[in-house]
Amino acid sequence: MTDRTERIEREGDLGVLPDLLEFVDRSCRRRGVVEEDRLALRLVAEELCVNVLEHGYGGGPGWIRLSMEVDGARARLTIEDRGRAFDPARGPRPDVDADWREREPGGLGLHLVRQTVDDIRYRPGRDGANVLTATTRIRTSPATAEAEEER
Amino acid sequence: MDVTTREQGEVLVVSVTGSIDALTAVELSDRLSSELEAGRSSLVGDLDAVEYTSSAGLRVILATLKDARQRGGDLRLARVRPTVRRVLDLSGFTSILQVFDDLDDAVRSFD
Repeated sequence: MTDRTERIEREGDLGVLPDLLEFVDRSCRRRGVVEEDRLALRLVAEELCVNVLEHGYGGGPGWIRLSMEVDGARARLTIEDRGRAFDPARGPRPDVDADWREREPGGLGLHLVRQTVDDIRYRPGRDGANVLTATTRIRTSPATAEAEEER
Repeated sequence: MDVTTREQGEVLVVSVTGSIDALTAVELSDRLSSELEAGRSSLVGDLDAVEYTSSAGLRVILATLKDARQRGGDLRLARVRPTVRRVLDLSGFTSILQVFDDLDDAVRSFD
């Protein structure tokens, strides 16, 4: 059972983040994704989109497209942009066992993504675009989907 | 996201409501910095009404923790919800700061 892919695109800086996160919340609610998994998807979307908006475009405005597919018990988030290429397999890994004095702020976002998703991959797309895809298992509940229809 | 503060003796209880994301974390950071600058370094973050935080929130927690401890105080958390707790656990934060189920216990821990 494959659901329709929903997508949102924006041109801007970090200011577009609320729209992108609201899109994830709405898509999840419509599909009846349980709250815990909805929040996990929001986290993955935020971390990956913020990387694009802050690092890929250096904080300046840029184009970003976020898509979400739900296929049975799995959700796939796809982030497309035309900023600087960024492969999530690289990047600093935080030392989560270090003493508080030695803790560094870098790499936490990607660490959370890697701990949350089942798969994440980067590939170059058409016209110099970057395409990042993250897949994770989710649970859905008919009650959650019905509640959303009544909103 | 909303931040309110309340003094309980030497301890400042910082109650946060809503989601801590890359945008709202800036406001939270500013508020906590002001309190530290004003000499309040015994801080309890009451996260009972926080359903979500991203790494942006973690970075604010880390910076506040370091600053408070360097001033001879501390940042402790209370009433952390499961999804936020998961993020703290995954990042190894629960091993570097104290988290309490009960707000009064968190405040009393500074005695």
